[in-house]
Amino acid sequence: MTTSSRPALAFDAFRKADQIASLLVEAQHDVLIVGAGLAGMRAAIEAHDAGADVALISKIHPVRSHSGAAEGGINAALGNASEDDPEKHAYDTVKGSDYLGDQDAIEVLCEEAPADVYQLEHWGAVFSRTEDGRIAQRPFGAAGEPRTAYAADITGHVLVHVLYEQIMKRDLQVYEEFFAWQLVENEGRCQAVISWDLVNGGLKTIGAKTVIIATGGAGRLYQGTTNAYACTGDGMTMALRLGVPLKDMEMMQFHPTTLSPTGVLITEGCRGEGAYLLNAEGERFLKRYAPNAMELASRDVISRAEQTEIDEGRGIDGNVLLDLRHLGAERIIERLHGTRELSMVFAGVDPIHDPIPVRPGAHYHMGGVETDLWGKTSLEGLYAAGEVACVSVHGANRLGGNALMETITYGKRAGKAAAEWALSHTTVTVPESLQADAERELGTLLDRTAGERPHGIRDEMAQTMHENFGVFRREDRMKRQGEIVAGLRERYEGVVVDDKGQIFNNDLTQALELGFLLELAACMVEAGLARKESRGAHARPDDYPERDDKNFLKHTLVSWRDDGPELSWEPVRMTKWQPQERTY
Amino acid sequence: MDVALKIWRFDPETGERALKHYNVEAPEWACLLDVLDIVKDQVDGTLGFRKSCRMMICGSCGMRMDGRAILACKERMKPIVERGHVPVISAMGNMPVLKDLVVDMTPFWTKIRRMKPWLDTGYEEIPEREFRHTQEEMNPIHKESLCIMCGCCVSECNSMESDPEFFGPAALAKGFRFVGDPRERAQVERLESYNDEHGIWDCTRCYFCNERCPKGVDPRDAIAKLGAESIKEGIDRDLGAKHAKWFVHSAKTTGWLRETELVPKTQGVVSAIKQTKFAISLAKHGKVPPPVPPHVADRVQEARGLHELVHSQGRAGAAGIVQGEKALSRIEHPSDGDGA
Ligand SMILES: Cc1cc2nc3c(=O)[nH]c(=O)nc-3n(C[C@H](O)[C@H](O)[C@H](O)COP(=O)(O)OP(=O)(O)OC[C@H]3O[C@@H](n4cnc5c(N)ncnc54)[C@H](O)[C@@H]3O)c2cc1C
Ligand code: SF4
Ligand code: SF4
Ligand code: FES
Repeated sequence: MTTSSRPALAFDAFRKADQIASLLVEAQHDVLIVGAGLAGMRAAIEAHDAGADVALISKIHPVRSHSGAAEGGINAALGNASEDDPEKHAYDTVKGSDYLGDQDAIEVLCEEAPADVYQLEHWGAVFSRTEDGRIAQRPFGAAGEPRTAYAADITGHVLVHVLYEQIMKRDLQVYEEFFAWQLVENEGRCQAVISWDLVNGGLKTIGAKTVIIATGGAGRLYQGTTNAYACTGDGMTMALRLGVPLKDMEMMQFHPTTLSPTGVLITEGCRGEGAYLLNAEGERFLKRYAPNAMELASRDVISRAEQTEIDEGRGIDGNVLLDLRHLGAERIIERLHGTRELSMVFAGVDPIHDPIPVRPGAHYHMGGVETDLWGKTSLEGLYAAGEVACVSVHGANRLGGNALMETITYGKRAGKAAAEWALSHTTVTVPESLQADAERELGTLLDRTAGERPHGIRDEMAQTMHENFGVFRREDRMKRQGEIVAGLRERYEGVVVDDKGQIFNNDLTQALELGFLLELAACMVEAGLARKESRGAHARPDDYPERDDKNFLKHTLVSWRDDGPELSWEPVRMTKWQPQERTY
Repeated sequence: MDVALKIWRFDPETGERALKHYNVEAPEWACLLDVLDIVKDQVDGTLGFRKSCRMMICGSCGMRMDGRAILACKERMKPIVERGHVPVISAMGNMPVLKDLVVDMTPFWTKIRRMKPWLDTGYEEIPEREFRHTQEEMNPIHKESLCIMCGCCVSECNSMESDPEFFGPAALAKGFRFVGDPRERAQVERLESYNDEHGIWDCTRCYFCNERCPKGVDPRDAIAKLGAESIKEGIDRDLGAKHAKWFVHSAKTTGWLRETELVPKTQGVVSAIKQTKFAISLAKHGKVPPPVPPHVADRVQEARGLHELVHSQGRAGAAGIVQGEKALSRIEHPSDGDGA
């Protein structure tokens, strides 16, 4: 065995530190992007091409980002499989959002989507093709046209690698395995990011004229989730701690087909190809919930239908069945190869011969850091894009294929806006005391030798969020969850980290992630209690089963004040569509 | 279920290396990654390993189980426990270890970058619509596009072990991903560069990379395709290329591989003389037929027929590389087959 002699990351950028004597920063850039998934990488490319000096920070290597797990596809009205146009795309998205999406943001997305997808193709994305050689498009839930462009069932993987190729082509600086922990505000602007360097240990402060957060979702709040271990909402909490509000945090989407028990996602592409959902009696139960769209109804509708079947005793060990068998071996192998592999490895089921056990699992956070149409947050110099942000294109319920599109289109817009601002402003100042404070805080955690390790708190949080803030919400359960989270946060104060080392100490970073998650849980419960209606992912069957446009056609905003969440409201931005009843 | 496993630990701060034994209770569905998590949570928080997607797509969790590179999230533990086996877990090979099961992938990525890993279409301005290419035209790079950059192949590469500078299977598969792309315009430049020292011809064809790749990328096949494309483009300066060309020529003309002529034809006469001693010693051990005038095999027609078949199907270059039963079944045999 050889051991590493990998030097401390002796980037040229680090050497700049000597030149900025008054600042305690290791390096400085025009635009610093936290997160290197699709949104972060797309933003970086755009900011670089606009002329800015750009760097990315990522706690895992960029290609390991969870964007790579997206299977189904990306929505743009290319019109390759039918007559389609951006307006139809926008209408479907508005309706799918249960009218909580901001319509101006949705129109921007749908207008810019086709050109953004063509660009990905010219960069090298290996999209699946139609007979005549165009980008193939498949039908997806709640979309009026087959609009989802895809690359077999590895769309996210293909896009992540294409964008990383473009990052390498531009030779952009990536601070790999840097765990961003605090955003630094100075003189009313976000001017730096303090990170724990996983490979070498130690806190590093990197200054920037503008910072874009693109840290992805927070599915790890829940026990059954399709999200990776890295999806711990870090960017949301970092922004929240600087006083930036989070929008629509109660809106956590449950995906109807996650593999039992691990929560690994089975793509909607299966239903696009014609798979059935069956209950214990072998009945295609959706005929009682969405008789027209059936398996292609929107996710919230199907998740609730499944949960009702399960709650009423028509499930099988807490699951329903996804049946692909009638599609035939050839189609399954050719179009759904990845799905077959996942189901064989994680459930021991070959979908050619047996139906797959599935249940609803936490999948996507429609809510997040509030931004405008250019990704700008309420704090000068701070931008957000991708799942961490809420601009809001998904409102109360996201359509499959729209998240990938959002990462690209809004990643691009945030990159452009952040670069423009950075190029017209010059100074970065970071008071030394800030890093000293951060070091002291981290020291307290690392020096603690007795106490509870984080995993018990983590598991309890995830378990109870599932039970009390899941597919269905009930007043008493939500209140109870608020108390549970408060209790967990108290316990977290005394948490102890086992690993005291400097090199690759992810025991430490996992503890910090739990801290991020607990604050988000508190925000979600606060927003959930305030929304006294049922809309999209927020379903209150017992007390408020209907949508209430008169009182709640508005966004929740949660800010952090005096160590707790504080709620306010904001109107939905409407352009041409008035709310209608949502039936499928 | 009760899971027992041993883990090679490495503490970079003390330099200490030790094989430690662990016993934990894990659910029946657990994969190796879940078990490592349980060890980290319940036994020792200092255990270092990478993870993220836990669904075989992010490439974080490459490591070795009983000396073979695997993805920890892909290995189901139940069958192992049922066999009563106690697996030994260690870090991947051919890369420096940072801590426990975490390796430094910097050299891996340096080689990926060496490939100029981005599509070169010959222009920067993005046209209004997509390239028009059928699925058939795109299929040749399907397998290479599956690569998740996990490093399992590099961990096992025999050539890399003896020559750390060897580009290696993952990088070369990435290279073919561009050479085989119908939208690419710099194929020849790429082939030239991949033919450099430490390049495609340094692969020993041990096939470990094909065997261990968890995603079915088959990097060795990609390397073979790069070789075939190079020869098709007339890039044959490397001995390996000359060697391969002579094989084909020899088989076509005589139906045999005339090994005695291999060295002079591929390495030149001077070098061949230098190797005479070696050849004589081989001959003494009955390893080479004596250099008598070349004889032609009785059924040389079969070899020639095959050669012509491949040419008539337009399978010069990468398209002629077929390996394994699955690939063979894709070769179009003339329907009036004469049994060849
Ligand atoms: C299994 C699955 C399948 C999906 N399928 C589809 C689909 O078919 N179509 C669709 O449209 N959407 C799909 N989605 C949703 C979509 O994939 C995601 O919403 C989207 O990819 C998020 O991208 P992102 O760039 O915002 O974040 P991510 O890709 O999650 O990237 C986050 C980045 O931030 C970094 N990061 C996080 N915290 C820190 C920190 N503290 N310090 C430093 N770096 C940090 C991470 O390292 C990572 O690089 C799917 C989601 C899942 C989970
Ligand atoms: S076949 Fe070649 S590239 Fe693959 S492992 Fe063996 S030597 Fe390495
Ligand atoms: S070729 Fe296979 S083993 Fe090698 S890096 Fe790619 S996915 Fe991993
Ligand atoms: S954790 Fe992503 S490949 Fe194993």
